[in-house]
Amino acid sequence: MIRSFFLIYGIAVLAGVSFAEYRGWSLNRVDEVPNVPKSVRDNPGSYRSVYGYYHHYTGGK
Amino acid sequence: MSDQGPVPAGTPQLKSLNCPNCGATLTLRTFGQAVTVVCAGCHSILDAQDPRLKILQTFQVATGEDRPLIPLGTRGTIRGTKYEAIGFQRRSIRVDGIPYSWHEYVLFNPYQGFRYLTEYDGHWNDTSPLRSLPSLGRVGNTLTYLGETYQHFQTANATTSFVLGEFPWQVRVGESVEVSDYVSPPRVISSEKTGNEVTWSMGEYIAGRDLWKAFQLAGDAPAPIGVFENQPSPLRANVRTTWTMVTVFLTLLVALAVAVYSTARDEPVFEDSYSYNTNVRGEASFVTDMFELKGHTSDVVLTTSADVDNNWIYLNYALINEDTGHAYDFGREVSYYHGHDADGSWSEGGQKDSVTLPSVAPGHYYLRIEPESDPHHGNISYRVALRRDVPQIGFFWLGGLLLLIPALLISWRSMNFEHLRWAESDYGGAPSASFLGAVESAVSSVKDSMDGGDE
Repeated sequence: MIRSFFLIYGIAVLAGVSFAEYRGWSLNRVDEVPNVPKSVRDNPGSYRSVYGYYHHYTGGK
Repeated sequence: MSDQGPVPAGTPQLKSLNCPNCGATLTLRTFGQAVTVVCAGCHSILDAQDPRLKILQTFQVATGEDRPLIPLGTRGTIRGTKYEAIGFQRRSIRVDGIPYSWHEYVLFNPYQGFRYLTEYDGHWNDTSPLRSLPSLGRVGNTLTYLGETYQHFQTANATTSFVLGEFPWQVRVGESVEVSDYVSPPRVISSEKTGNEVTWSMGEYIAGRDLWKAFQLAGDAPAPIGVFENQPSPLRANVRTTWTMVTVFLTLLVALAVAVYSTARDEPVFEDSYSYNTNVRGEASFVTDMFELKGHTSDVVLTTSADVDNNWIYLNYALINEDTGHAYDFGREVSYYHGHDADGSWSEGGQKDSVTLPSVAPGHYYLRIEPESDPHHGNISYRVALRRDVPQIGFFWLGGLLLLIPALLISWRSMNFEHLRWAESDYGGAPSASFLGAVESAVSSVKDSMDGGDE
């Protein structure tokens, strides 16, 4: 019983890792924006990143 | 246990006598092999070897005070031999002022002699005298018998508090013996010391339902309560199997990692250097040249290197698919600070940063980059590099963790079972219940299995 369960579970884990590697999954998440106009290429300033106006660390010790 | 095996020829003849105290009919089942017999009517203990049944002791109890779960006179087959229940006693010990009682049944077969069953809270043991002496361990809390080591569990004074039927010894209510138990589940070796005399016996844990079947008793056996001293752990085999499987799958995971790292393309797709002058006002954003991501959907790793020194640069990135207009929007900061103070030298951050973009489809892409930094820092040079189909070590760590979790859970449950077992001992906790003990046990299981175990 436990052997069958672990056999299926272990194969599922290995298959999951293989698939994640093949498809290039990442533990990071990045915002995705659909339908960016082609005009951005000619006018980069027309695109506003959601990460603009970031409060930057300017310290040091 | 089996129904097969030798069965006494013919029906044993019962001998009926009368109790000299109350006149009740006594039934002797042991053909004169019993030493004492207890009258079920008045509870007089009689000398079964005396033709006149001399009264040895009387004790006052309510009739039926402690009814045997296996009625005296019931026959059942144990290990292929038919036995009859002929005697029953209750014995008690007192631990920390709390009395604990268990029951013992005397079984008899005219050819095989006596055998015993013990019962405590629904836990049963099939017990018989040892044929040779066990050897005590050096430190006194272990003993060895037939190559097996037994761990001391408990020593206590057991007092007989109720008797019924026939006994092959001079039984008395109120008599005390020092009982020591040594366990190696599913077996227990017990010594009973009276004066200078020590008798040894071995018990093997037996499920109540098997006894009910063997003695064809009505109803169900009482459900066992708690964990008994020599109760075999139902998880022990699972722990061994699981750790063996974990070892196999971890090995396969490492092999998979080697295969992925050797076959992944880890292909450079774009690299260029730029410079950002913080003194120049105006639109800072720009786009890179077009580049192509080929092959299957894969991750893309973007690395930013900047010559920051006690300052920072922040880059708003957008990786834009020229064909579909789909963009990956993210921001990265590269900052590096260092110096000296009263505590010595220190540093924070670094001049390099990497980020992984998951599952980027193939196509033609360009980057939109918008740098930011504190004004008046002057020129900051930075380099942007993209690689695709880069192996992610994190998934292998995650896979390893997922493989370990069920094994750790089962090991923890097994440890808990042992903890419950040893909580009732003189030691109050399992000798190997520590985390290191569990790890040691797991490593030993894996080692055993790799040495050609049958798992």
